Amino acid sequence: MKSRMQNSSLKQEFLKNWIKGLQLHANFNKNTTILERRKAIKLSADIAIASTRNSTTRWSRALIADASRDESNKTLIEKISGRDVPHKASFGLIRCSKKILKRSRVAREVRAKKAVSPSVVASLIAKKLVKSRTRVLKRLVPGGEDMDEISLIKETIDYIVSLRVQVDVMGRMAKAADRLIRSTSL
Amino acid sequence: MQPTSGELPEMNNLNPLVSLHDSQMSKSSHFDPTSSHDDFLDQMFSSVPSSASSFPWPEDHAPPQPCHLEDQSTALLASKLRQQQISNGAAKALLLQHELMLSRGLAVNDLRSPSGADIEFLNVPHADQDDVVDGSYYKSANLDHEASVKALFNGFTGSIGHSSNQPQHLLHSQKFGGPAVPEMNQPAASGTSGGGTAGQPKQRVRARRGQATDPHSIAERLRRERIAERMKSLQELVPNANKTDKASMLDEIIDYVKFLQLQVKVLSMSRLGGAAAVSPLVPDISSEGGRNGNGTQTASSSNNDGMTVTEHQVAKLMEEDMGSAMQYLQGKGLCLMPISLATAISTTTCRTRSHHPLASASNNPLLNSEAAGPTSPSISALTVQSATIAANGGGETSLKDVNSVSKP
Repeated sequence: MKSRMQNSSLKQEFLKNWIKGLQLHANFNKNTTILERRKAIKLSADIAIASTRNSTTRWSRALIADASRDESNKTLIEKISGRDVPHKASFGLIRCSKKILKRSRVAREVRAKKAVSPSVVASLIAKKLVKSRTRVLKRLVPGGEDMDEISLIKETIDYIVSLRVQVDVMGRMAKAADRLIRSTSL
Repeated sequence: MQPTSGELPEMNNLNPLVSLHDSQMSKSSHFDPTSSHDDFLDQMFSSVPSSASSFPWPEDHAPPQPCHLEDQSTALLASKLRQQQISNGAAKALLLQHELMLSRGLAVNDLRSPSGADIEFLNVPHADQDDVVDGSYYKSANLDHEASVKALFNGFTGSIGHSSNQPQHLLHSQKFGGPAVPEMNQPAASGTSGGGTAGQPKQRVRARRGQATDPHSIAERLRRERIAERMKSLQELVPNANKTDKASMLDEIIDYVKFLQLQVKVLSMSRLGGAAAVSPLVPDISSEGGRNGNGTQTASSSNNDGMTVTEHQVAKLMEEDMGSAMQYLQGKGLCLMPISLATAISTTTCRTRSHHPLASASNNPLLNSEAAGPTSPSISALTVQSATIAANGGGETSLKDVNSVSKP
């Protein structure tokens, strides 16, 4: 899949974007709480990794759209991604109606008292498991609610790759920072 | 300025808290695959005879007796071959050819005459056969037949890649012999829709196998195939993904995504840019004899993240009394251990490089972190567990209740 070359260039791009975002927060001082600090760092990281995709994947678009909902993040987003992302309309209504449909269908089936042969039951259980887990996955992947199963899996693959890049780079950065601190303080 | 030793633990603390949780989650899901695996096998076995004769007969009728079949066997095979070539492409056709020749060869080995006819069962589809099934069938092959046959089958699978059913059907045919053929026809009535993965109920009555006349089923099969191939590529990404069925694969995927997201969160808590310290769970306990400079954050619990709440809670407890903090952790199934030990263990057990910042060299008991990077939660949980056992004997701090740290 991803060749090594691609992977390392991805890491570099992420790092660049991330640093761009962090520079905006150079005004950290003793008074900033950990929480604020962490939020800022995480936000920069997330936007940075999402922008490495250049809006080609749904999760990246959804991530940036989510972040841009908050006015205070606008400058950050512009700085990192280099362009302004318009506010996305919420699809809450559609999701809501789907849920209602689903619930009514399940209720109907239960009332109809479908076949009870063990193999059917087993397969029904399996299907239910798969469905519920797919739902959980949809919640985890940003923007996953509106996707169908096939694209969900595709997006998940991409998302996992990006998360790994993120973790790798951030971990190295943290390690380096630690060494720096220790070397200067000793 | 805060002591430097306090540095990284903040990053480390979250991970152990989570890792054990994750491990428990994933452990429970580990048991599922075995049972579902068996179910899958049972399904395969039961579906074999039913699907066996559901292939397209050229004249479109079921053969009445075995004797007819031996006459027509070659003709049938030839027609099957043609059909395969048309519908499924070269691979299956090739396989069929192989089997035709194989059957000829086997007929010499004192198989009963209808063996030729039984070869027809070989065509059964099951495109997405899992390798697991292959293994089990090969086992049965070992028991029953000479090595040459087995080797041939192995060769087929190796070269073609998805042919588990064919060898198995051959075996079945040899076992069943002639009289079984009419029996086969009956279960065939309840035919299969072919190519299903585990968990798909095979109930629809279908006449033929290679060609679905119903556009819905074609579309559905296409969809299923697409999903299957995507899942395969996902399997390479996610560690521990040798599960055969969808539900447990999804489970692993979910765990992994959660794990990665948590790692990002924890890593973003590290000290970047050399700013003032800060960790909810600061470290230097031994030097200060029981409390630390974590006055900064306790106020925070405004966010609704469970982990952060735990961290803050533990930090608060640590201020007052180490023992209660430990007990709190134990209640959650977590433990404390020296970072150096945890690191040592995780770097030796996990192959990936440990990216997490190694904190102080001192033996401060700190919430353990696992190796950052794409390690699976279950591995890291194991390291935590094994580490606790070791930690109990390891050089420790002057904490009162260190003995009370037991295996979670």
